Amino acid sequence: MPDDPKTSRRGALKTIATVGGVVGCGALGVPAARLLLAPADIGAGAGRWTRALRLDALHEGEPKRVSLIADRRDAWTLEKAVELGAVWLVRGGETVRAWSVTCPHLGCAVQQSGTAPGFTCPCHDSSFDPEGRRLSGPSPRDLDSLSTRVETGVVLVEYRRFRQGIPDRVSVG
Amino acid sequence: MGDTRWLAILRASVAACFAVLVLTGVTLMTAYAPSPQSAWASVHYLQYVLPGGWLVRGAHWWAAQALVLLSASHVAIGALAGAYRKPRQFSWWLSLLVLALSIGEGITGGLLPWDQHGWWARVVEGNIVGLAPVLGSWLQQMMAGGTELGALGLARAHVMHVVLLPAALGAALWARRSLERKGVGGATNTSSSRFGALEREVVAAAGIVIAVSALAWASRGAPLDAPADPTSEYPARPEWFLLTLFALREFFHGAGEFWGTSLIPGAAAAYLALLPWIDAPRPNRPNRVLLVAPVVAIFAGAALLGVFAWRKDAHDKQFIKQHAKAEARAAAAIQLAMVGVPPAGPLEMMRRDPELRGHDLFEQHCAPCHVLDGLGDPKKATATKLDGWGTPAWIAEMIHDPDAPQFFGRGPYKGEMPSVDVRPKDRPASKPWKPMVKDEADKKALAEFLASQGDEPGDPARALEDATRATAERIVQERCSTCHLYKGQGDDEGSGLAPELSRYGSLAWTRAQIANPATAETYREGALDESRKKHMPRFDSDLSAADIDLVARWTRAHARAIPVR
Repeated sequence: MPDDPKTSRRGALKTIATVGGVVGCGALGVPAARLLLAPADIGAGAGRWTRALRLDALHEGEPKRVSLIADRRDAWTLEKAVELGAVWLVRGGETVRAWSVTCPHLGCAVQQSGTAPGFTCPCHDSSFDPEGRRLSGPSPRDLDSLSTRVETGVVLVEYRRFRQGIPDRVSVG
Repeated sequence: MGDTRWLAILRASVAACFAVLVLTGVTLMTAYAPSPQSAWASVHYLQYVLPGGWLVRGAHWWAAQALVLLSASHVAIGALAGAYRKPRQFSWWLSLLVLALSIGEGITGGLLPWDQHGWWARVVEGNIVGLAPVLGSWLQQMMAGGTELGALGLARAHVMHVVLLPAALGAALWARRSLERKGVGGATNTSSSRFGALEREVVAAAGIVIAVSALAWASRGAPLDAPADPTSEYPARPEWFLLTLFALREFFHGAGEFWGTSLIPGAAAAYLALLPWIDAPRPNRPNRVLLVAPVVAIFAGAALLGVFAWRKDAHDKQFIKQHAKAEARAAAAIQLAMVGVPPAGPLEMMRRDPELRGHDLFEQHCAPCHVLDGLGDPKKATATKLDGWGTPAWIAEMIHDPDAPQFFGRGPYKGEMPSVDVRPKDRPASKPWKPMVKDEADKKALAEFLASQGDEPGDPARALEDATRATAERIVQERCSTCHLYKGQGDDEGSGLAPELSRYGSLAWTRAQIANPATAETYREGALDESRKKHMPRFDSDLSAADIDLVARWTRAHARAIPVR
């Protein structure tokens, strides 16, 4: 036991400060870090089967942009029956093919090309043929096709989103 | 040193911008509410409703542009003047930091109104961050607040914009100022004209405040685009100070994209940061012209690329069209919000508006078969053309020639409705035939009367004389009701194909027809019979009652060329 009261007081203060600091970092710092890092943990979700529209509203071979209506969760907000995303639908007889409107390059929405049939991105001019295959521009892959099925005359689409800017299709929910 | 004089003036101007930004920023924060539901609405409120809000917001916006421009100019002139040389290297690095933080403030601030321009620019920028190796997609999610740019992303941009970046920027400016005061930052205090230098700085700072206020006044505030809509089509473009990077993307595709669009600006930044060593006094120091050439190349190249991108858009017909469409949407949203935005946010406001929502619904659900107001393809339409539907002119034409291509000619009802004044071709000459209307005047009266069935309170008044009304009603009851219902009465006792004529074209009739044509209110049971392929389907399974109401209002109003209510 140290004789000098000053030294022992300083030692005690040091200990208390250290303990307080460690506990503070552990008890508050770790939860705070977890809070800040939480968004990074949100991983790929499953695709969602969403009702698009009636099959007879699609003309054969003619692309149509359709918004998919579903519930949408964003942090604390749950919106009922709002536009989740949009797809390009093309009818071929009794089946329908669907592509996400999201450009695989950097995420703008592709639109129908003004001149030739097919799609073009308004941001960096990636262009795609009517089958969604990339023709020119910076897009690293073809348009992302989505699964569809037709049930009692209604087109359903399995809506998904993918990572942008990479050659592979990686689902992000 | 003439060059350092300019640098001092620029530093004073940057400090003045920062002061304006802090003061206006804090003022704006008293009305700004950062959430996807409220951000746009609160910025709209600031810009268009709160007295003086537009001016404060405009000053903030212009001061932000000036901050980037002046910080960049300070770096450019500093590089040319050799202001990076020891012992001023710390001041030089702080200047680079000030430029980077200014750009960071511009990027985070651009998202805060949560409008189309800011949102889409940020989505693209986030995806560019996501391209970075190793940490890219982690960083992207941290910035966006999840896999999609949403509420947490906005909250994060907000805290960066109003706390973290301004604190860093303020600290950097203060540190630079301290270095200058100590005499290691600049040469001004060794000059004999110390008082003159201070005077110049004060004049420059005052000039900035005046210029920013004048610009804010002249531009009536700052731009506000339509509310951010993740499912819309939008030709995204970055802020002007990032146009250079945008243009750079033009030259690098595929695997080289990340490196081309990150390494080149990265190398430029590194060159500037390393100038104190590159241009250090040593025996074999390269010629100064050689050292300065890259600096000129960096700034001239950046400016040229930016102008290149801007000019390309200015000559791109499709971009001009998309841009005009986006501007029209912004104007409509701004107008709608003047009476207030619902708590669910501006997108909900637009979803409830008959003009905007009705148009979108018609385009998606009705235009595959019908034509109205430029929507739908007249060559492919199989159902009635709706331009003029419910007006006397349309009805007069229709009852004269029901099988014309714009009426029933291309649909399942072809051949079902006889003309009121043309003898049927298949009727043998031996059989007697009498037109349903005896002359043009009666036909006109009938058309007027039927059109009046669809009138709603608030529609333009229709002068229909009692005699005309009586004549027309008699024709309807005597002749039309052979096939049609009128006020629920008809000769076929409800089993026929022809629709109810009372209230024909009214809002209630239109709603009923869209929801389900096979009710006694409109076309009756036969309308959905399997034998009538391509008949109008019922939409009450696809659309909510609210949406049916909106599209009915839009259709009826546009058919009659009256305002949508």
